[in-house]
Amino acid sequence: MTSLVFLTPWILLGLLALPLLWWLLRATPPSPKHLRFPGVGLLMGLKDIEKMPDKTPIWLLLLRILAIAAAIVAFANPVLNPETRAEGDGPLLILMDGGWASAPDWSQRIGEAERLLEQAARAGRPTVFASLTQPLPQGMPYRDARDWLSVLRALEPQAWAPDRQAAVDWLADKQDFETYWLTDGLQYGEADLANALGAKGPLRVIGTAKQPLALRPLKLDAGQLSVTVIGASPIAETVTLTAYGTAPNGIEVAFASITGTLPAGQSEVTLTFQMPLELTNRVTRVTLQSQTSAGAVALADDGSRRRKVALVGAGIQEGPQLVAPMHYLRKALEPSAALIEGSLSDVLLGAPDVIVLSDVGKLSIPSARKLLEWVEKGGLLVRFAGPRLAAEGAGPLVGDPLLPVRLRAGGRTLGGAMAWNTPKHLSPFPESSPFFGLPIPADIEVFAQVVAQPAPDLAARTLAALEDGTPLVTQRQKGDGRVVLFHVTANAEWSTLPLSGLFVQMLERLSISANPAGPEAVLEGRMWMPDRTLDGFGRLVDAELVAPVSGERLAKPVGLDARPGLYSSGDLSVAINVLQADSTLAALDLPIGINIELLGQTNEQSLKPWLLMAALALFMLDVLGTLWVTGRLFNRGVAQAAGLILMVALIPTPEANANEDRIILTANDTVLAYVITGDPTVDNISAAGLLGLSAVLTERTSVEPIAPIGVNIETDDLSLLPMLYWPITPDQAALSEGAVQRLNRYLATGGMIVFDTRDAQLGSGFGVLTANGKALQRLTASLDIPPLAPIPAGHVLTRAFYLLEDFPGRWSGPDVWVEVSAGGTNLNDGVTPIVIGANDWAAAWAVTDSGQPMFPVGRGLTGERQRELARRFGVNLVMYVLTGNYKSDQVHVPAFLERLGE
Amino acid sequence: MNQPSPSAELRAASEGLAATFPALMVAATRLAASVAMGDHGRRRAGVGEDFWQYRQALPGDDLATVDWRRSGRSDTAYVREREWESAHTVAIWPDSAQSMDYSGKRGVSSKGERAALLAMALSVLLAKAGERIAFPATIAAIPRSGKRQLQRIAQAISTINQTRPEYGSVPEFGDLKAARSVFLSDFMGTDDQIFPPLSAIAERAGTGCLVHILDDTEETFPFDGRVIFESMGGGLSFETHRAKGLREEYREQLAKRCAALEEFARQAGWQYLKHHTSQSPRAALLWLHMVIGGQR
Repeated sequence: MTSLVFLTPWILLGLLALPLLWWLLRATPPSPKHLRFPGVGLLMGLKDIEKMPDKTPIWLLLLRILAIAAAIVAFANPVLNPETRAEGDGPLLILMDGGWASAPDWSQRIGEAERLLEQAARAGRPTVFASLTQPLPQGMPYRDARDWLSVLRALEPQAWAPDRQAAVDWLADKQDFETYWLTDGLQYGEADLANALGAKGPLRVIGTAKQPLALRPLKLDAGQLSVTVIGASPIAETVTLTAYGTAPNGIEVAFASITGTLPAGQSEVTLTFQMPLELTNRVTRVTLQSQTSAGAVALADDGSRRRKVALVGAGIQEGPQLVAPMHYLRKALEPSAALIEGSLSDVLLGAPDVIVLSDVGKLSIPSARKLLEWVEKGGLLVRFAGPRLAAEGAGPLVGDPLLPVRLRAGGRTLGGAMAWNTPKHLSPFPESSPFFGLPIPADIEVFAQVVAQPAPDLAARTLAALEDGTPLVTQRQKGDGRVVLFHVTANAEWSTLPLSGLFVQMLERLSISANPAGPEAVLEGRMWMPDRTLDGFGRLVDAELVAPVSGERLAKPVGLDARPGLYSSGDLSVAINVLQADSTLAALDLPIGINIELLGQTNEQSLKPWLLMAALALFMLDVLGTLWVTGRLFNRGVAQAAGLILMVALIPTPEANANEDRIILTANDTVLAYVITGDPTVDNISAAGLLGLSAVLTERTSVEPIAPIGVNIETDDLSLLPMLYWPITPDQAALSEGAVQRLNRYLATGGMIVFDTRDAQLGSGFGVLTANGKALQRLTASLDIPPLAPIPAGHVLTRAFYLLEDFPGRWSGPDVWVEVSAGGTNLNDGVTPIVIGANDWAAAWAVTDSGQPMFPVGRGLTGERQRELARRFGVNLVMYVLTGNYKSDQVHVPAFLERLGE
Repeated sequence: MNQPSPSAELRAASEGLAATFPALMVAATRLAASVAMGDHGRRRAGVGEDFWQYRQALPGDDLATVDWRRSGRSDTAYVREREWESAHTVAIWPDSAQSMDYSGKRGVSSKGERAALLAMALSVLLAKAGERIAFPATIAAIPRSGKRQLQRIAQAISTINQTRPEYGSVPEFGDLKAARSVFLSDFMGTDDQIFPPLSAIAERAGTGCLVHILDDTEETFPFDGRVIFESMGGGLSFETHRAKGLREEYREQLAKRCAALEEFARQAGWQYLKHHTSQSPRAALLWLHMVIGGQR
């Protein structure tokens, strides 16, 4: 929808004067040139052969009229798609939703709110600004609109939904005011904020045309990860989901992507990742590519992992299969876990997550050793008792490492015709138990069990006990793994436990099976500590707030007191997502007559500059045309000036072939490159630094680089650059998928990146403490970076050209880190692909146009020495990247020895 | 305020003259020297006069006529005799009309300047040769020789006449009987202004030469577009809508004028030279020197 409005339309009346101008211009011929010329006497009596019209040619006339018309229209201030936001007066409330759904266009929203505040400040309106994801203020604290700017600028989108109901309640008893409401366009619950605001005064709702999309929590559907995209968009949306997970080297990488379509008018579409189980289990999160909001991230937890469970029974069993322990286990685990069965040595080869031994007594020594190794590496061994265990597990004075407790021989039988005692019930689970909070059905009875030897730590190892305190389930940590023993059988022979739902829940709580009952079952009754939380943009950050949250609260929708993220409680961990399994999105209900105005002035376009430019261009054409008509165009001076103007005007912008040119440039010559950070100051320093280094190289070595270039890592080709200097700034944008891939390829094929956090003066060097250090971690999180170590003595970098001991830049700081050299296995012939330092080398190398150092380094002569060393390091760096490990060749050893001996 | 006294005016005018005199004199002398040297070769120290013979000095000879260098080589004194014993009168007319002020290009001297320079240099040469020089219709109209006459000539040339005509007409010579006449002009005036006086002079006086001084732009006519051509004084004007279209016709007219002048010169036994201000003045002076010197 486009519309055109003139802000000062009366100027258009000037167009009426155009016919008059036409007549005037037409009547006025181009003026002749007066020339003094003695030969005029000879001219007397000559006749013109061609008659030039003494009226202005029609095309010139049209040109002039057009130019004047363009100027008139321009001064009438035409505006395309005008914003109709008029300035009002009286008190003003500016509300922002500020939830996850606002995150995708957050900066636009902040910009708009800033504009509105500035506008209100100009009009002197008392203003209240509030974000619905923050606690609402008491009363209506009207202030000057500019005072709110600082609040606004510190505002971040939150990862939960705005609390509209609270806002409705808050407004109930307030005086009238006008409202600007920057909404995310979604309806949350029943709260009718629009009407509540409308009742107070004029309401203007500002939002985006694009409806946000979100992801429901991950689900396992027949072993495949399935994700449901929900939205309330009136148009069909193409959605691309990417699953990220941890690669074996600990780096988060994208495993797979799928693309689907959310049809118009539909509120959800479910997409399924087809991945092998190993990958599915490693997935840590799934994100919706097009949107950066917490709602577009689905975190994975144990619930979305399908465990590989190995069932090992006691040899071949004869007898009724349907009451065999294995049958119970199979039935309990089958829906939620990948089961493998076989002999112990067979299943160990399949690297299961969990091994369940059902009534296995004595293990052969090699299998026992292998099993123990597996447990210590993090395996979970769950054993069920039975006659064989009762018979064989007893006896040894030293505890069997594959049993959590020492067992008494024989076990005991409770109840029965000949016994005094009756079958026992379960006592409530202790708080330290993973089963804590599970409801215990009253009809569970235990008839027989194996009994643990009393021991000092028996109580600590007990997860569940009988009424009389005898342990029913015990557990023991073993290395990284643990061993759990159910003191009863896995069938109904010894107890009715396997017949109840509690059996399945207990297995779930032991993380044996993915929880088909939903997260509530796991959450219930426990306190959870947040490990990492999601911010509004969908980034996982270390939890700031470490107060535990009750499971019941976490089961409800997320909010300020229960942020989405990863929580843990003991051995359990859960992912709390922004949306719940049954969440839907709905478009905001607005009363009739109120429409969502679009955010930002991106649509409003003033045509004035364009028209003025056009008028100017036409007038210039007119000048040329007039000169041509009067025959003065080819006078030398005029022609030169006109040529210059034309050249300036018509120089084509060489955008199209820039990348190609750059490739040719970098292929022809050695060129040092830096990464464009987006911060002009830093970029200038990088450019000047590399220019200085290039000059030093040209002067001292046979490397003669041409002027350095800046590289946009998102778009530019890296393949021909020997090295990249990458200064870190705190606000560099995260790398896109493509950039990560290209950087990884660059590193793997002989490139080198020099990261410089430039903050050695802050003391700690690069680390988690400084903003730049954090940015470095964030930026390089998905890069394929080998293990690093400080530059060891004798590294090639210390002798590639100069012999160096330390590597100062502008700062002389901490160690410089390079790849650990691990005898022959390194990539690229042992040349480190990564150099990380904090010494701000570019600033030390930087020279001005006149070749003077740009920044002071240190003090006096010492400082100059430091600068010299910085230059030497630069020379070594370039030599190193260009010649590789040449200098580590033994052939140079005599020369070095001689040199060192001097 | 009082009117400035006549003497003050005179003084101001003379200072203006003094400003130009030396420049013109120096330029003319230098030009003349170069021509003379070119004519006689470098080994001779003297300028410009033709050696005739040495004869022994006789009583009654002026001491100044004794050639001491020659005399020093022998016991007797010698007198150098020159070729021309009696001086001729040469009349020179540099056109100083307004049309002569024209210069088609910055950096090229105007026709008038060129005419003045040539006239002055020629006068210097002639004065050295002892000829009598006359500038008709000026303060130097009476033929004389010597330095004083040169000064008078310089003054005559440098005096800027406020009421100059648009185009120069060849002056009446009156009683002046000149053996040679030199006319330096662009000959842009009407035929009446040029040919009848010339014919009258040609009938009475001896030989002469016409130096037709033109600017390059007058020859090439590099104009285009709608132009109003005006004479230098503004008295004449001619409007054209496309100057380029007139070029051929104009050049025809000019060629006709040149041809007419040349034809006149041929008939009268005079010499005709077309000289462009873009050319070196030396060539023209050399030509004049030889023509006047009777070597052709």
